[in-house]
This record gives sequence, C-alpha cells and structure tokens, in this order.
Amino acid sequence: MFITDIRKDFYEVVANQRVALLVASDIDALCACKILQVLFHCDQVQYTLVPVTGWQDLSTAFLEHKEQFRYFVLINCGANVDLLEMLQPDDDSVFFICDTHRPVDVVNVYNDSQIKLLIKQDDDLGVPSYDDIFRDEDEGEGSDSGNESEEGSEPSGKRRRFDEGAVERRIERRRAKRDWEARRREILFDYEQYEYHGTSASIMFFELAWVLTKDTKDMLWWAVIGLTDQWVHDKITHMKYVTDIATMQRHVSRHNHRNEDEENSLSIDCMRISFEYDLRLTLYQHWSLYESICNSCYTSCNFKLWTLNGQKKLQEFLADMGLPLKQVRQKFHSMDMSIKENLRDVIEESSNKYGMKDIRIQTFGVHFGFKNRFLASDMVHATTALLESTEKDESASDNFIKALDSLSRSNLDRLHSGIDLAKKKLMAIQQTVASCICTNLIVSQGPFLYCYLMEGTPDVKLFSKPMALTLLCKYLLKAFVQSTRNKRCKLLPLVMAAPKDVEKGSVIVVGIPPESETSDKKNFFGRAFEKAAESTSSRTLHDNFDTSIITLKTEDRSKFLDALITLLS
Amino acid sequence: MDPSEVEFLAEKEMVKIIPNFSLDKIYLIGGDLGPFNPGLPVDVPVWLALNLKQRQKCRIVPPAWMDVEKLEEMRELERKEDTFSPVPSPYYMELTKVLLNHASDNIPKADEIRTLVKDIWDTRIAKLRLSADSFISQLEAHAKLDNLTLMEINTIRAFLLDSLNCMYKLRSNLQPGSSKKQFTDY
Repeated sequence: MFITDIRKDFYEVVANQRVALLVASDIDALCACKILQVLFHCDQVQYTLVPVTGWQDLSTAFLEHKEQFRYFVLINCGANVDLLEMLQPDDDSVFFICDTHRPVDVVNVYNDSQIKLLIKQDDDLGVPSYDDIFRDEDEGEGSDSGNESEEGSEPSGKRRRFDEGAVERRIERRRAKRDWEARRREILFDYEQYEYHGTSASIMFFELAWVLTKDTKDMLWWAVIGLTDQWVHDKITHMKYVTDIATMQRHVSRHNHRNEDEENSLSIDCMRISFEYDLRLTLYQHWSLYESICNSCYTSCNFKLWTLNGQKKLQEFLADMGLPLKQVRQKFHSMDMSIKENLRDVIEESSNKYGMKDIRIQTFGVHFGFKNRFLASDMVHATTALLESTEKDESASDNFIKALDSLSRSNLDRLHSGIDLAKKKLMAIQQTVASCICTNLIVSQGPFLYCYLMEGTPDVKLFSKPMALTLLCKYLLKAFVQSTRNKRCKLLPLVMAAPKDVEKGSVIVVGIPPESETSDKKNFFGRAFEKAAESTSSRTLHDNFDTSIITLKTEDRSKFLDALITLLS
Repeated sequence: MDPSEVEFLAEKEMVKIIPNFSLDKIYLIGGDLGPFNPGLPVDVPVWLALNLKQRQKCRIVPPAWMDVEKLEEMRELERKEDTFSPVPSPYYMELTKVLLNHASDNIPKADEIRTLVKDIWDTRIAKLRLSADSFISQLEAHAKLDNLTLMEINTIRAFLLDSLNCMYKLRSNLQPGSSKKQFTDY
C-alpha cells in the first residue's frame, strides 16, 4: 500500500525500533541512504546498513537479518517484483520500499499489511484497479454450493428445472471467469511491459526531512545529486527533470534566504548551494576545457569528433569563440580570468551556430571554503566511478562504503580520487565509441541494433559493470544516430553485450530504448530478455534490479540473440 | 597535559542555547539542567550544546565576548600592554575553535572572529615566550603569571620545566662540592 503521511506512518514507526537498511548500488540510493542516516543519527535510531547489488544479494541479506529485525527499509530495490513471494518473510516483517523502478508490482500495491510503499501516488503510476486483477474466488464457490444445498432440500419434482438453471449459471460463470482472466492478462501485460523510473528516492527522503524540519543544506545537496544522477544516467525524461529541478530550486531559495543577511554574512566555510544554468561539459571545472569538450557525449556526438572533419570543426569552434588553444588545453583553474568570466555565454552563442542548441542545462552547484566548487553532475560522475571501480581486491561493499563516504564534505580527497577515476572512465568511453563507429561494430539485426565488445578491447574491464556499460551504450547510440545515413536505423533501440567475467565465461547484456527527442525512456527489453531466455533455455541471470540488464553465458549468446530477433520482429 | 584534555575541561563552560524540543529538568551529577522549552534560551554546558547542535535540536547563541568590536578592543589592549591583559573567558581559545567548527552558521561574522582571536592568541604567546626567555636568562626566582589561561600555560609548560631541569643539572655540575648530589625531577 502507498503511505500518505510519511512522518506518521514511516518515521515514527521506525524511530523506536532497530531497522535494517537494504540499499541498492546506484547514486540515487546512496544519497537517499545518506539523508536517512543523518536523520537516524539525530534521533539515535539503531540501524544496520546492507548494500545489495541484485536480487540474490537482497535475498541473502534478508535471510541473514530476518531473525533480528522486524522493519526493513529498501532503497531503490524491491518495488517491481512480488517481494513477499520472493523473500517469504514471516507475518510480522514490515517492508518500507522507496524505489524509483516502475512499474510497481501489483501485489506490492495492494498488500495492506506488510508492504508499505514510500512513493508519491501522483507519480503517473497507472496502477490497474483492484477489481481488474484480483477477484475473491469464494464468491463464485459460495453461490454454487448454496444452489446445491437448495437443490437437496427441494422435492425431486422441481429438481430438473433447478438443475438446468444451475448448469446454465455455472456455464455463464465459467465463461465470465475466462473473459475476466483474459482481460486481466492483457491489463497486466500492458502494465508491466515497459520499465521506467519515477521520482528520485533522495527527493522523497529529503521531503521527509523537511516535514520533520530537520532538513539541512547537506541533505538538500544530496537530494540534488540524487536527481542529477537520474538525469546523467538517462533514467527520467527531460520534462520530469526540469519539474524536479524547479521543486529543488524552491528548497534552495528557502535555505539561502534563511541564512544570508547583509550585516551578518555567513562564514566562507558554510555550504552554499546555488542554481546554475551551466554548460553540459562533463567535469569541465576539474579538467581542461579542451578535454572536457572532447569527452562529453553531447559535444563529441554533435561535432562527430571521431572523424577528421569533426576535429577540424572543433578547431573552428574554438577559433570562433576566440579562445587560444594554449589556454583551452590548460587546467580550468589556471585559465585566464578574462576568458573564464563570460565563458558560458560565449560558448552558448557559438554552439548555437554549430547546431548545439542545448549546450546549457539547469543544475545546481555547491561551494564551501575557498577552493571547493562542485557541480552536481561532477559529484555524480565521481561517485559512480568510485562505486564501480574495478581495482583488484575491492569487494562491492567496500566500493559502496567508499562511494558513500565521498558524499560527505569532510572526505574531499576521496572525492578528488573519484573525479580522476571518472575522467579515465569518460576517456575510455569516448575511445570505445570512436573505435566502434569507425570499425562499424554496430550491426542492425532487424528490430534492433547490436554491438559486442570483444575481450581484447582496451578498458573492457570497466564495461563489465552495469552503469558504466549503460552509459557507454547511450553514448554509442547517440553517436551512431549522428553518424549513420540510414533513416530507419536511427529509430532502432540498441542491445549491447560486453564480457563480464572471462573465467566464468559470462557476458553482460544491456538493452536501451531508441534515441529520440521526445523519448519517454520506457524500456521494454526487460520482458523481452526474459521471454527470449525462456524460449531458448539459455543460462541467464536476471539479477540486476533494472530488468534490462542481464548476465548470459558466452556460449548461449548467439541463440539468445536469434530468439530476441524473432521475438521482436 | 594534552591539548585535548584542556579542551575537555573547557567544555564544562556554560553557553546559551535555544532548543527546539521540550524536556523537563534533568538532574545530572554535575548539576541540574533545564527545563527545555522550544524557543526559550537556556544555559547548558558546551558539551551538551555541541551534541544537541549536531543532532539539529538547538541553535547556539554566541557568548557575549564573541563579538567583532569587543574582540578588536581586546586585541588593541593586548598589543599596547606589556603584561597580560584580562582575558574574555578563561577558555577563550578552545571555545572559539569548538563553537566555530560546529556552529559557524549561528555565529555572525565567524571568519573575522576567528582571525581576531588568533591575533590575540599570537600576541599573548609572544609575550609569554619573551617573559620565559628573560626568566631563564636572568636567573630569576619567580614570575608573575596572572591572566594567563590554561591553554597558554599548557603550551609552554613542558618546555619550560624541561629547560629549568637542564639548567639546574648544568649549574649543579659547575659547583662540585657545594651541593649535595641530589637530582630531583620536577
């Protein structure tokens, strides 16, 4: 069931209990977890934090902790599957689920006792109504047996009439039931066909903090990072992003007005969040402008920087703006002040001439102390790189904790190491995209495009992680759409496979929806992968919380692909 | 003594806070505190104020001496005098550090206050070093130490005592028969 009063029905319930927090591995979940942790610290609530990477992890964690905990809070996991069936909990376990994955499973919506959803109901959920899906079986049986007992008490003369009537009614009922079941299957199929994402979990928890009047600037900043994560990883539509930014902007102005005063200005060390209409160049303030332009998806795809022509256009672009190459290749901090002052407007003007209308995007920036300025997207890239770092001897939970730590203001060196890792990751993505396009590695299979990264590709280890591979996939599709002449291919979705574990012989497969201006980001590959795996009995693992990312055995790759092609054509 | 011990002692000082919760009077070993009512100022020890502030349950009111003009006057006074002038609070350095680290959003002009307090501290430490130097070089027997705070004494204690010890050993070696060979450690 959906929770309406988050303070009364969630926070006050768990405030006196020991809680287990099961948190998925994405940045939005990390930020939501941070906000909840601070709230718990303020009220001295005992909790256990368990990072989970997939459904198996979730089940194991639940089994380990079900003896000690009654209340479980699941962040960014658990809403899109029948949780009670999967975990088989005791009757007194209560699950509070705050998940952005949609569609929410109907059992989770209609269960009143054990599943509480911390999800806003106006979030265009489109949940089918109760009567369309669930029906009390007893009603049908009861009237049937009632008739039979009536039959017994009546004298035998009237029996035949009643028999006929009863038989007819039974046939009617059965037909109605079949119709109802067919309609139910159809409704459920439509409802569960497409996977998409709803409002960020960190915004939900920030609003909880706001209702409790315990919201701080740190929490606001984390909520902004959670929202930006959804935008960077292309999980929500542009409209939704802009709407949520407006909501956050109201909170930001509220916080800024609270503290700033003409005579009593705030210490420089205090955190200041500001609304920025900043450039879409990833990490440009921590890199050189030139590197950032070369390695950001938007500029790289629009200029087609993998071609010689593209490089020339870039040089023209820089010359058009009057930026000397020497300045542009330097670290951003060391660029001349005269250039930095009007940089955004200058770049916007020039990029309009080159067909890049949306070089600027609404976002937020933070600054505390004299040196530290970060944009929300910088933080997202840094934390993602830490979360999915492929260093040896680091388990998933170590990476989780490191990424969680990097979100605090006191761990700046961790954040900077994250930024360095993010730079390497972005460069690897750009090089892979360039090589894939130049060697025509993307093949049209009919209903979709397909690309396979060979084992020997440089940096292929980075792409054994789901988020990095998804990012590569999206950039690749955008680049492909820019570079191909085939009009039909521009509207196709992309399926990408990369080696995950060479020893075990598994590949990770990701499917993303087609690239379009008005895309609603709804992904149908989850169901498609399931059906294809079933029909070919391929050895697959649908472990990720995003159903469009699966692991597959390398040998089964070709038959799985064929099944997918036949399924989707 | 460790500087953190001095800071620990400093946390017993009282400071005014404005809580946002309500609680009846609490009876602790060190004394009674409260009652706490939202919006009404109450005096509590610094350790409790910091804990409540970190849990976002109160707002700290800066002490009366933590004001830019008063501190500027004190700094001027300190620079003029040769001896140590009266100090705003016996734990001014620790309180400044602790309050500005944790509650700088409640204290107006926090950066200037930090600079002013540091200036006062530097002047006093310079005077202390000068007087310790003259004490040793002129072999004086006693010195006047009024208006020194525990933190300042603590910075010089180890060095001064060790150096006096060394001086004593050196001096007793120079006069062989006169003193009994007793070496007491301070």
